[in-house]
Amino acid sequence: MTASMQALEYLEQQSGATLIKLYRQPSSALAIFRRMLPHLAKNIVMAMLYMTKPFSDADLLAWIRPDALVEKDQAMSVLERLHIISKVHDPPPAPTAYQLSDKFAKSLRQALTGGGNHRSFGVPCSTPDPDKIDVENLDKFARQQWEAILYYMVGSAGGMQMGLSQGASISDGTKMLLEMGNFVERKGGRPIITQTGFSFLLQEANTQVWSLLIVYLESADNLQMDKVDVLSFLFTLGSLELGQDYSTANLTATQLQMLDDLSDFGIVYRRDNQAKRFYPTRLATTLTSDAGALLTSNSTLRSALSPTGSGNDKGYIIVETNYRLYAYTSSILQIAVLALFTRLHTRFPNLVSGKLTKESIQRAINLGITADQVISYLTAHAHPQMAKNTPVMPPTVVDQIRLWQIEGDRMKATTGFLIKEFGTQTEYDDTWKYADSLGVLVWKNDIKRLLFVSRIEQLSTYLAGKKSKARAA
Amino acid sequence: MNAIDGTDRTITASEAPPPSLLTIILDTNPYAWSILSSTLPLSKVIANLLVFINAHLAINHANQVAVIASHTTCAQFLYPTPKPPQPGGRDSGTTNEAASNGDVEMSNGIAERIANEDDANKYRPFRIIEQELLANLTNLISKTTPEDLKSRTTTMIAGALTTALAYINKQILLKSPSDPSVLLNADTSAVSSAALPMTSVDGQDAASARSRQTLTSRILILSVSGDLAAQYIPVMNTIFAAQRQRVPIDVLKLAGDTVFLQQACDSTGGIYLDPSHYTPPLDSSTKTNGKAPADTAAAAVSGTLQGLLLHLLHPLLPDSYARHSLVPPADAAVDFRAACFCHRRVVDIGYVCSVCLSIFCEPLADGQCLTCGTQLILPREAGVVPAVLPRAKKKKKKKIAGGADTPGTSSAAGTPAPS
Repeated sequence: MTASMQALEYLEQQSGATLIKLYRQPSSALAIFRRMLPHLAKNIVMAMLYMTKPFSDADLLAWIRPDALVEKDQAMSVLERLHIISKVHDPPPAPTAYQLSDKFAKSLRQALTGGGNHRSFGVPCSTPDPDKIDVENLDKFARQQWEAILYYMVGSAGGMQMGLSQGASISDGTKMLLEMGNFVERKGGRPIITQTGFSFLLQEANTQVWSLLIVYLESADNLQMDKVDVLSFLFTLGSLELGQDYSTANLTATQLQMLDDLSDFGIVYRRDNQAKRFYPTRLATTLTSDAGALLTSNSTLRSALSPTGSGNDKGYIIVETNYRLYAYTSSILQIAVLALFTRLHTRFPNLVSGKLTKESIQRAINLGITADQVISYLTAHAHPQMAKNTPVMPPTVVDQIRLWQIEGDRMKATTGFLIKEFGTQTEYDDTWKYADSLGVLVWKNDIKRLLFVSRIEQLSTYLAGKKSKARAA
Repeated sequence: MNAIDGTDRTITASEAPPPSLLTIILDTNPYAWSILSSTLPLSKVIANLLVFINAHLAINHANQVAVIASHTTCAQFLYPTPKPPQPGGRDSGTTNEAASNGDVEMSNGIAERIANEDDANKYRPFRIIEQELLANLTNLISKTTPEDLKSRTTTMIAGALTTALAYINKQILLKSPSDPSVLLNADTSAVSSAALPMTSVDGQDAASARSRQTLTSRILILSVSGDLAAQYIPVMNTIFAAQRQRVPIDVLKLAGDTVFLQQACDSTGGIYLDPSHYTPPLDSSTKTNGKAPADTAAAAVSGTLQGLLLHLLHPLLPDSYARHSLVPPADAAVDFRAACFCHRRVVDIGYVCSVCLSIFCEPLADGQCLTCGTQLILPREAGVVPAVLPRAKKKKKKKIAGGADTPGTSSAAGTPAPS
């Protein structure tokens, strides 16, 4: 699950009123537009932004290629769920049409053209900071804070304590948050990493930040914090400029409280709790950028988060077709993550080598890590030389990792409906043939006259129609 | 076990669309804008263009934009602000005496100026672009002297296109997943990898190549002046280069009429939009409602400005990734005429050199091709209309090759001496 999907899911759960309130801030409208919407939806919104009349469904259909209708439906349903567009309720003769929500359209227009006095893009400090912190140190701070969290989690995995306790001190609030998000469990006073926690570790930094922030948002309700305030502040943070100091003067009490918590995560930097200015770190300014874009174009976040600090910050893992793995890293954290699913055997000053084995992968799978997570982790952190290949990972290795996973689960669950107790053989034959033609038939037993279908709507109308016909005759 | 097959592998790649680079070529021909000044002033167009640029940048965090002015005397970057090539050998920095290092000082200067005018009501990247673009445009206009205007009246569209393609190529190389320095040194590998998707027949290969494409680029030309025949050859060459780089060229035709830009859109798969002919769905929906169709057509012609932003945002904003699922606006028949190499006239019937395929509007006086110097011989029948067939069915183009006669004998076809 990517970061934007997580955040989107969270937003979709919010009530329409909350969302509309959120859209009053141009920075929030812009961030949601950029971050949450499918690509096609963005283009539809932009096309509608300056239209004076509702966009009729017929015109929309004429604009979308027939083979892209699935994407169109997807885009429209996301837009409707987020209350960005709504159907116009005209009397029936008028064609179905869509229009943008007034608040959203107004804010987005304001974001594009500027103007207004909403101050939602952050208020920079008017006076220069006497001892200004530079970008390098901001990155260092962000990395230190965020890795402390990851160390805490990795360190809680069994057998990996040694050498990891160094400097890994995180605040009690963060510990609580990790427990609330079910990333770690506390057993006998000692934190134990959970399945969710393992998946969390293998995610991209940006996704990790969002996962944690969503837990934070959910807990915000309990702490009597205004959800809209919290969300719009997060979106504002995403639009700030790295290396610029911003004033805390315009912030609400909730947002001031958030600053404390966010500086624990390394998302913002403040000199102390009373400081009148704060600096967003790279973790903050990339909040509203695309994870996919980060992966390929914006290596800066990874460089901020890769402790090796060497020039080669794009990726460090090479996997060969013979399952050997070489990782050019000296970071204990990265080695610990690799050790989750690799049998490491040699460590050099800047390189660890190991092998992907059946035991190591299946051990990871038992911990709750999926094969896809392993593959996507290896792909995302591929060394530039390996990243040149198409596909990036050797296909044999990818297939074998998947095979090792499905070796464990021999059963496949299909949700559906069992139809039984047919009156006559002809009725039974008729029904299974119809189900087969629909492509919903999963399994049948001719002797016991049992059918298993994956979907029943069409079949039940078919059966009901037949029954009423039989009654009429 | 059916879950394991080769098709699954590509799915692990990120599904997010690649960032897109939009290169806008703004035709700043002062002659054309002075004609348009009453209906479509440049300042309004720039304002709309800025909203369009912001919309493009809003779509993806990694989206990029470049604006190039195609002026009468030069083609110049408006955004990003060009930096002097060498700190040592710079001539352009003479205005800024205090600067010891032009490269650093210049960018710092702009950043400082922007920081001073910081306000919290506009997204910072949007503001930076707006200020840089306006500053550079003002600079360009103020530097244009009456003498410059006298010497040339056409716009440097070919130069602007070349600049744009060079910029795009550089950005793509910088964005490629492998180490950019490696690619820049060994450009042969870049060419072969760029050519790969074109030649590959295997659908899966093409799909995976597309999914790994790191930057999609396109060019948008805001054209106001016509008559590009003088630059026929360079323009066509840039079109072919764009075709090879798979860069679509979109054209928004605000005024004037050019044959070749339409061909550019057609051969690169871009969109050619003439606001006076195309009505966006908003207008068409009013049409279907039966409310004064003549009104909307008139509005589209007279008030191009009102619709300009709508034109920009609706058919022209989607990048090539989104265009896979969108229907392009229907375009009128493409004018495929070419310009002759001798007088730069747009011709529909001409003479073509059999060796180098150069086009000439009339038989050559000395029978020698002006491009490759081949001695050409025009057959006696050339230009003579056979009596049997009606003219319309006659094959129009006559090659000046293959005949046994000397060119002198064909002077019956009418040869004004090439000037």
